[in-house]
Amino acid sequence: MSRLAYGLVALIGVVAVALGAYGVLGGTDVLRVPWLVPLGGLELALDPLGGLFLALIGFAAVPASVYAIGYPEDGRPGRWAYVVFVTSMCLVPVAANVMTFVIAWELMSLASYFLVLHDRESKESIEAGWIYAVMTHAGLACLLAGMLLLGAETGSLRFADWRSAAAVLTPATRNAAFVLLALGFAGKAGVIPLHVWLPLAHPAAPSHVSALMSGVMIKLGIYGLLRVSLDWLGTGPPWWGAALLLAGAVSSVIGVLYALVEHDLKRLLAFHSIENIGIILLGIGSAALYRVAGQDALAILGVVAALYHTVNHAAFKALLFLGAGSVVHATGTRNMEAMGGLIKRMPWTAACFLIGSAAIAALPPLNGFVSEWLTFLALFQNTHLASVGQNLVFTLGIASLALTGGLAMACFVKAFGITFLALPRSDAAARAHEANPPMRLGMLALAAACVALGLGPTVVVPAFGSVAAAVLRTTPTMTGGDWLTLRVSGEFAGVSTAAIAVALAASLLVPFAAFRLAGASRRTRLYETWGCGRIVQTPRMEYTATAFANPFKRVFDFFYRPTRRLDIEFHPESRLFVERIEYENPTRSIFDDWLYRPALDFLRAGARAVGTLQSGDANWYLAYILAALLLMLVFA
Amino acid sequence: MLRQIRTALRTGIVTEPVARAGEIERIGERLASEISRLFGRSLAIRQVDAGSCNACELEITGLTGPHYDVERFGVHFVASPRHADCLLVTGPVTRNMAEALRRTWLATPDPKLVVAVGDCGLDGGLFRGSYAVVGGVADVIPVDAVIPGCPPSPAALLAALLEAIGRLPR
Repeated sequence: MSRLAYGLVALIGVVAVALGAYGVLGGTDVLRVPWLVPLGGLELALDPLGGLFLALIGFAAVPASVYAIGYPEDGRPGRWAYVVFVTSMCLVPVAANVMTFVIAWELMSLASYFLVLHDRESKESIEAGWIYAVMTHAGLACLLAGMLLLGAETGSLRFADWRSAAAVLTPATRNAAFVLLALGFAGKAGVIPLHVWLPLAHPAAPSHVSALMSGVMIKLGIYGLLRVSLDWLGTGPPWWGAALLLAGAVSSVIGVLYALVEHDLKRLLAFHSIENIGIILLGIGSAALYRVAGQDALAILGVVAALYHTVNHAAFKALLFLGAGSVVHATGTRNMEAMGGLIKRMPWTAACFLIGSAAIAALPPLNGFVSEWLTFLALFQNTHLASVGQNLVFTLGIASLALTGGLAMACFVKAFGITFLALPRSDAAARAHEANPPMRLGMLALAAACVALGLGPTVVVPAFGSVAAAVLRTTPTMTGGDWLTLRVSGEFAGVSTAAIAVALAASLLVPFAAFRLAGASRRTRLYETWGCGRIVQTPRMEYTATAFANPFKRVFDFFYRPTRRLDIEFHPESRLFVERIEYENPTRSIFDDWLYRPALDFLRAGARAVGTLQSGDANWYLAYILAALLLMLVFA
Repeated sequence: MLRQIRTALRTGIVTEPVARAGEIERIGERLASEISRLFGRSLAIRQVDAGSCNACELEITGLTGPHYDVERFGVHFVASPRHADCLLVTGPVTRNMAEALRRTWLATPDPKLVVAVGDCGLDGGLFRGSYAVVGGVADVIPVDAVIPGCPPSPAALLAALLEAIGRLPR
């Protein structure tokens, strides 16, 4: 039964890719069923941007579903929620009016809510599901308010009509609509400070669902932000772009900082999603600012960088979540401190996870490098803007992207090293087994996609360039350069990932060949890992994730505000002998402490104050009704 | 981070100049030319304490301080035998350290140089014959040179090192 469901989703994925590719290549199609839903009927329209996101959903759903076929079910339901989840996600980017969009959006949120609640016994899952439901519906409320506002002002609930009517709207309406819609979409995308649901919900769901939630679902927030900032509302004031750029800068740095001190493998990946959403926003923000300044070619570059990173992030984050799922299933824990030594026990998973790690750390020649490079180029060309304020915003973006890149690299050295290398830190890790063939196939497909997207930017960039031009409604100016070297903005910059790949391979192979030719001695001596001369080496002596993260905790202590607790129990006879040591060094979230807790306290205090109205006395309630009636009579 | 930057800015530069003359300089320059002839660049030394009273360590640490500053002659102390050309072993080899010393020697890549430091390193010195001591360094691993003294001064250490390297086959 579950095979049927997952096979069906894989099929939907294939169809989505085909339809999406047709849309990206310029195909347009409209499907209208007026009687199906009220207020405008079901209306689906395929355009290049929608097609790209549709293809993206299919592209991630196919390997995730293949993986899910092999993923052990443990007798829990969720496969039909999964079918609904993927199908509704496919509808979101092609929805052409408010009603269709909202129904698809809400179905997607509800289906993913049930998937987050996959483990209904654990308190953690229930808490995650609760926070997810609240955050996603707060976002929906913002979206509905923004969309109804636009509907009322333009007199139409069809997105196509908004485009033509956007120019005549008053600035106040446009700004209000932008703020409401951007907040709603940013909440779904996990932009800081609306990110709190993300690190809770992603780890709670089964891994193929986490892969889709992180790889694709939050990207629909990006899809919405692209529509709002560049498409539906036309060219906005510069502060829209600046706000997006700043949100991107903040999200990228803070996301990776939280990831660095996180030792739950899936939560770590969830925080990296926040970071990558930030990087995508840098591209979108720069595009919006360039567009206001009339620099259409640069605006296209910004959108291309954002779209490329969106696709890349879907590929490597889905891969990493699938890899993490294999690891979690094999070891029974998400805590990295209990892993280790898995590269020997699960070599396929380790190899795929390593490719994903290198890609997300933006190492050439993999895909993450290409899109971060494009983002850098989009930011670097801010010299074409005259405004000093905007240039400062760009500089902040550049600095944060650079810092993010370095920290992400450090984080994945930790994630891969602690999880897969050295000796196993627990019995469960020592008994770990390799993932089964369908799971391996899912991961290998995504790993191959990471490599292909890294080596083929000259094919991808022109295609995305035409999508970007369609969004910005200008003529496509983005060329990919010749077939090996990607060139950006004429002679501004160029890179050839294929040449980098060849050089890297040569740097590995040439020394071997040279030593062989030079007739060097090939005598080797095998000896155990150096352990300071100890007789027995145990996993207790290994580097831990906590130790790895500690320097960062110290350097950024003003952000983490770590608290340190050391609890030592000495032997009753002598303090020289220690019976037990407990060390804890947790960090405190400034968003929980300074934003959500005060907001919740305020809400609770308000509710308590209003609650006195509800006395339970029927006489009072009659009095309220009378008062309400009187007021209505007076004002009507 | 902010606190560290503030401290650095407030404190400023606190070092003072050192007089450079004498025997150390002469030995050092010869050592530098010998090392560069033999090793190409510098000599990487891993210091191993096999049970020393730490007097020899004090003198060795003195070598790397700002006064003697042997790194300028191409003598470089490293943190792992994996990176070392030479083991500088101090102290009588105690029973508890014998196996660790043997493993350190095995972990050092060939070709390697072993220099025993101090009278204790020579034959156990003051502690010779103790039930806790195996003997000199040469009783546990092959030794190429011995630097006697209790403890040898930094100048003596450098001179002996020069002599030990000078005796190496080309």
